[in-house]
Amino acid sequence: MPDARFLQIHTLHGYPAALLNRDESGLAKRMTYGGSIRTRISSQCLKRHWRTAEGPHALQGIDGATAAVRSRDIVTRRIIEPLAAAGRDQAVIDALEPSFQKLVYGDKGTTKGSRQPLLLGEPEIEYLAGEATRLASESGNDAKVAEKSIAAWLKSERANLRAIEKATTLPAGLAAALFGRMVTSDPMANLDAAVHVAHAFTVHAEESESDYFSVVDDLKRGDEDAGAAHINETELTAGLFYGYVVLDRTTLLRNLGGDTEMAGEIGERLVHLIATVSPGAKLGSTAPYSYTSWVLAEAGDRQPRSLAEAFREPCAPAMLEAEEAAHQHLSNLDRMYGNGEARRIASLSNREAPGAAAATLSDLAGWAGTALRTGLA
Amino acid sequence: MSRWLHMRLQAPLGSFGGETVDARGIIRDFPAQSMMTGLLANALGWPRTMTGEHQALQDRIVFGALWEDEVPLERLTDYQTASLNKDDQAWTTRGVPARRAGGPNTYEGSHQRWRDYHCDLRLAVVLRFNPDEQSPTLDQAANALVRPARPLFIGRKPCLPSAPLFAGWIDAPNAPAALTAIAPAASTGSRACWPASEGTEGAARITSITDERNFLTGLHGGARRICEGLIGAPEPAG
Repeated sequence: MPDARFLQIHTLHGYPAALLNRDESGLAKRMTYGGSIRTRISSQCLKRHWRTAEGPHALQGIDGATAAVRSRDIVTRRIIEPLAAAGRDQAVIDALEPSFQKLVYGDKGTTKGSRQPLLLGEPEIEYLAGEATRLASESGNDAKVAEKSIAAWLKSERANLRAIEKATTLPAGLAAALFGRMVTSDPMANLDAAVHVAHAFTVHAEESESDYFSVVDDLKRGDEDAGAAHINETELTAGLFYGYVVLDRTTLLRNLGGDTEMAGEIGERLVHLIATVSPGAKLGSTAPYSYTSWVLAEAGDRQPRSLAEAFREPCAPAMLEAEEAAHQHLSNLDRMYGNGEARRIASLSNREAPGAAAATLSDLAGWAGTALRTGLA
Repeated sequence: MSRWLHMRLQAPLGSFGGETVDARGIIRDFPAQSMMTGLLANALGWPRTMTGEHQALQDRIVFGALWEDEVPLERLTDYQTASLNKDDQAWTTRGVPARRAGGPNTYEGSHQRWRDYHCDLRLAVVLRFNPDEQSPTLDQAANALVRPARPLFIGRKPCLPSAPLFAGWIDAPNAPAALTAIAPAASTGSRACWPASEGTEGAARITSITDERNFLTGLHGGARRICEGLIGAPEPAG
């Protein structure tokens, strides 16, 4: 079984008569590929809608309570135990421990049963462990000095520690664990994004229409000027978009403090979100809601690569042609580079894809979650 | 004669970041020395805190790059907005949180940014380490490209490659020769750049650029002399 270090999710997703993502002039975002202009949905647009989506697969819906159960040992395991392993005086450790437990888990944090969920990532754990080590070594073997040091530290660091708490409370901490968090003045506090999202683009040349509209004032009387109150144009595009996402299991676990259960749940939900959540704007005027027609998931440890080259030559704006192009390209890649990934496919057409077992979306999402949880495809 | 790692940077969108001006992220025609360092370091799975290792790797990289296409380089400017808040805070390892400057009115509207990209990027790179005997070796770097520790990307995270980056090995005495070995059979020649220290013959221009990073401070500085020219152009007759 290949090592599921990377999970690649490819989609072919159609949206008719919509204006999903605009640039500053109000026109659809575009890009040139293979010499022809394609309509584009930007990476940041896709990520935002997946991040903020509500509903049964929302990231915010991940159970915080059970997360607390799983994460309650982090302070003990990663911050306190290393002090003992380094040979620090037990009395000093005992003087420091309650403050760290309370810090991470709240006022009732000294007993195991009553902890609030905090999603500590590797940067937070390393920082707190480093501070604990420093306080312990400065206290030597004197528990009283340790008590004074920790009290002084809590006071001077109060704002910073509150910022840690705010950043790592669920569900906010989950968004950062997946999509990253950047602090320009301190790269060591950064969380790297665990998910890479390519800009989605149409597999065919752009199909765009300029929709002229007028706004009529229904309250005008017969003797008033008969013209429209407002006239304007808006762009409407139709598109079959190729989307590509890569989930980086190593970084995800690093950002989740090693919680494999949560990584699995995130992966499963993300597949559902990618397949069903619209990145669209103009909800009232275009109802840009659609589900993906085709989703291919790959798990493996070779360098992830998009299937964009299948659409270098723009294909006809139809699922049959797009699927054939994608499957043929996949076959060609397998022939040249060998097949090193485990694959699942879920599609409306139910056509066979090279090396991929057919599944429903739920099965595929579950398989992706398991791959992220276990690390095996 | 040296052994060169042949890489193919291919993606629908790619970015070779230059100096960011205000909210405008501009790009250059060729990747920076620091970008090649970061790309390999990402493949090797190094955290950004390994500043010494990054610095040493940057010092060892010798690379040349060549545009594979006859199609004119096309660029795209992506418009981005971010909703910022005056009360945003982030914890730091300095013990005090980072805050936003300015009053509440500064954050009333969306923050706007523009980021440039190369469309339909296809760039060939030849790369070696000088010296190669240190860790990581060129072989280790090549293996890391095939089975990277993290997903590879070309400049920015959404710039995901559409082909494997590792494209093989070339034996050549210097960078221009290595680039000539992999240049497509184009009649007009392919735009290329290589370090001036690898030989200035065939260069259309020799210039200094700033593309090396001080990984400890995080700032770019200094100057590196490079050549730019056409590789594979036929000799003029007469």
